[in-house]
Amino acid sequence: METLLDIRNLSVDFRTPRGRVQALRDVSFPVRKNRIVGIVGESGSGKSTVLWAILGLLAKNAEVTSGEVQFGARDLLHAGEAALRAARGEEISVVFQDPMTSQIPVLTYGQQMLDILYRRRNVSAAEKRRLAVEMLGKVGIPDPASRIDQYPHHFSGGMRQRAGIAMALLTGPKLLLADEPTTALDVTMEAQIIHLLQELQHELDATVVVVSHNLGLIAELCDDVVVMYAGEVIEAGEVREIFHNAQHPYTRALLECDPARIDDVSRKLPVIPGEIPDLTRPRQGCIFAPRCQRVMPECRQITPPDVERSAGNFARCHLLDGPLADPSWPPPHEVNTVGRGQETALKSATVASAEPLLDVSALNVQFETMGPIRAKLRGVEARHVDAVLDVSLSVRPGETVGLVGESGSGKTTLGRTILNLVRAQGGSVRFEGNEIRNMPEGRFKPLRRDMAMMFQDPVGSLSPRKSVRALITEPFQIHGITGVDLDKEAERLADMVRLPKPFLSRYPHELSGGQARRVGVARALALNPKLIIADEPTAGLDVSVQGEILNLMADLQFEHGLGYLIITHNLPVVRHIADRLAIMYLGRIVEQGDTAELFRNPVHPYTQALVEGVPQPDPDRRRAHVSISGEVPSLLNRPKGCDFATRCPYVQDRCRGEKPPHYELEGGRSHACFFPLN
Amino acid sequence: MSENRSEPETGIPAVDASGLPDHVSEAEVLESAARERREKLLMFVTNWQGLTGLILVLLFFASAIFAPWLAPYEPNTLDIPARLSPPSLEHLAGTDQLGRDTFSRILYGGQVALKIAAIGVSVALLVGLVLGMIAGFGPRWLDNLLLLAFDTVRSFPTIVLALAMVALAGPSMGMVLIIVIVTSIPQYARVARTATLTLKNTDFILAERSLGASTIRTLWHHIMPNVVGPLMILAAMDVPVVVTVEAGLSFLGLGVLPPTASWGTILNEGYLVIRDAPWMVIAGGIPLILTTLGFTFLGEALRDIFDPRMGKGR
Repeated sequence: METLLDIRNLSVDFRTPRGRVQALRDVSFPVRKNRIVGIVGESGSGKSTVLWAILGLLAKNAEVTSGEVQFGARDLLHAGEAALRAARGEEISVVFQDPMTSQIPVLTYGQQMLDILYRRRNVSAAEKRRLAVEMLGKVGIPDPASRIDQYPHHFSGGMRQRAGIAMALLTGPKLLLADEPTTALDVTMEAQIIHLLQELQHELDATVVVVSHNLGLIAELCDDVVVMYAGEVIEAGEVREIFHNAQHPYTRALLECDPARIDDVSRKLPVIPGEIPDLTRPRQGCIFAPRCQRVMPECRQITPPDVERSAGNFARCHLLDGPLADPSWPPPHEVNTVGRGQETALKSATVASAEPLLDVSALNVQFETMGPIRAKLRGVEARHVDAVLDVSLSVRPGETVGLVGESGSGKTTLGRTILNLVRAQGGSVRFEGNEIRNMPEGRFKPLRRDMAMMFQDPVGSLSPRKSVRALITEPFQIHGITGVDLDKEAERLADMVRLPKPFLSRYPHELSGGQARRVGVARALALNPKLIIADEPTAGLDVSVQGEILNLMADLQFEHGLGYLIITHNLPVVRHIADRLAIMYLGRIVEQGDTAELFRNPVHPYTQALVEGVPQPDPDRRRAHVSISGEVPSLLNRPKGCDFATRCPYVQDRCRGEKPPHYELEGGRSHACFFPLN
Repeated sequence: MSENRSEPETGIPAVDASGLPDHVSEAEVLESAARERREKLLMFVTNWQGLTGLILVLLFFASAIFAPWLAPYEPNTLDIPARLSPPSLEHLAGTDQLGRDTFSRILYGGQVALKIAAIGVSVALLVGLVLGMIAGFGPRWLDNLLLLAFDTVRSFPTIVLALAMVALAGPSMGMVLIIVIVTSIPQYARVARTATLTLKNTDFILAERSLGASTIRTLWHHIMPNVVGPLMILAAMDVPVVVTVEAGLSFLGLGVLPPTASWGTILNEGYLVIRDAPWMVIAGGIPLILTTLGFTFLGEALRDIFDPRMGKGR
């Protein structure tokens, strides 16, 4: 098959004050024509650097030390600026990660797309516009002829990404590069974008390179896969070879770590120990050796060979060839190669019988959209939107409740309202039987010792100018607890979250995501709380590290009998850790119940869509169809009837006119649907 | 075969006696913070602008502080026969119309400039910081009220304000200080307020609230350290402005009173005799220029190194 783009021996260094970071070392892989190639790797693997090197858009402190990028007959790496500019946009175009920031906010899509075609002098403006409208229609934007004159802020996130794809494809490029194209989008939108990319690729015979950390997306979308680790290609091959017959221990470990791939529900997730190596230091031997589950002494000394199985399929490992080859590697599919949690059969019976620790009922939180005077002038009566509507939820000691929803579903607001950081307009929040809703801060303060929150951004939620020691002992100072040795406490807490002691004198920006998250856990646990509200505890963490945090949380729950309310959009992860799930849509809980039960037998159509919408890291289990279309409506125009009516595949007339109440089912399940499934 | 040790039950890397994962040494961990500081220092020293600035600023401080020892004459000693003499070995920068040694007067004048710059800028910085943080963190009405006050003060041209105040209270060095402080508070407050506003809704401030931290604790421990950096840089760049304001007011006869030497009064007196003795104005102007350049270079170099937003590359 014809090769469109051939990357050979590409090496890129970044000059930093800390020394030269060898971000890419000897990267070679071909991109074959009419194929979708996925570059997969964790953060710091250099996958985006490859993309920018192809385009000649590396940062100023980057230096290409060797290699070539053959695109057709040209070498892009050594092409002049004029030649590169001619190729960018025309022959190679890019879909960016965040459509919010990659589109020009002050120009209409019509203008932006006209500008893209500026080189085509012989095409009239009217013709260019016709092309643009046609392309917008192709990417599934309804009524493109009128929407083309709108600005990016008129479009919702998913629509914007569609428009971004339209802009990238407008010039009919030979090669389309997509940098994490769905990372900024919700699960249901992600499925739609994947399908769109697939359809367009078929239709336009384009060649696509997708960069992603999401194994599910890669499995679903790609034909060929390149696995990168710390700046090296460690394995490459066809998608089925990679996902079904991974040769390199890293690929194997990465796949085993993906929670969506683990079918048996357990409390513990597998973890690759250690962290990505410091690329400023000289290395020897295999780059993955310090973390490898099958490391041999020679691995640290001798660089492993690229072992080719068939054309284009290779892996870089001693186990596969040479004197160190092990014929029993790779082991069969069912065998786990990475350490995973020991089953802790710790869900004791006390959970079910205990009184709820936290009991939320009929909670309502409203946000003001305009001031009273403006509302009067405009004649608007409802000047509030319901961010959280009629929510009832309870958490018992030692229980983990998962609160799942897409962005804008009000799940974070709910968490903050429980902690009295946001005022609520109605309903009740009880903690150990006492009403705490909108309690004045003075009276609430003692309760903050019993309820702690973990915030979404692991590094961003730590005060940047404080050392780790100061951060994790701060709760003692805030609550005026004297008579404890703060240094001892700091060490005790660091031990508890398995944070090495020398890290106590570091500052947040010197920590990796996983370490910062452990500091967050330590701080939350400082005063032995009873309830922890964790907002996206795995956000910003790599697949190989997220298990570490979740296992830690599970252990601590076992030791201290903590109640967890875990707020997340990540269904595959929460499935392994939560006892019960509450699914939230547009500020309302649409279904609630036992996790296993809910997965086996979803009652609400939205739950069903979410459960089926999880991209499987298995190319043979690609989703045949997109289960729900459209997007989450804005809170400002909440549907009159059922909130989900605008997107529900089973919608009936009654749903559009009437809001369904919460129906209780046996076994603690409830749902809000007139026509429950099964 | 040496397996990577990892606890079978957790999968988390094993730690040795010192509590470190087996692939990191303690020295490495401790080193990183110190290394970063060293890198910053190295960046500063290799930046020619910063180094020039630092040297000029040190020169300014040294000349003012050690004026009594450095000056060849008393600043107010009259030497009538040698009046308006050009620069010579005896009088390095010549003399003025009363025969006073200009070089000595410049050194002593530096003391006035330093005093006003040090006291004026630090008081203004402190008050501006506190007011700005209150405006940024406090309720909306307080913010609006304070902003109104800041803008009112800023809307006065400095010289006009000075004229009015001096007309009421008479010229003195205290007056100059008050004018400098009052007119520069709003700009510090504005910067502090904007920085506080952007921090107000960050996760870490919310996290502090969720821990139960009081407003004062949040402001003092968590907002102030993050706001004060850019403000210090601003202060460094503001010093020359203050020095020129003092010189300007003294030039107009609204500042330091004769016979006290100040760069402004030297310029003023030199201006009267500029046709006969131009070197006096030149000699009075040079330290003003050098100080301005020094602090501006220093401020810009500090900003380049410590402000992460100025970072190059991705």
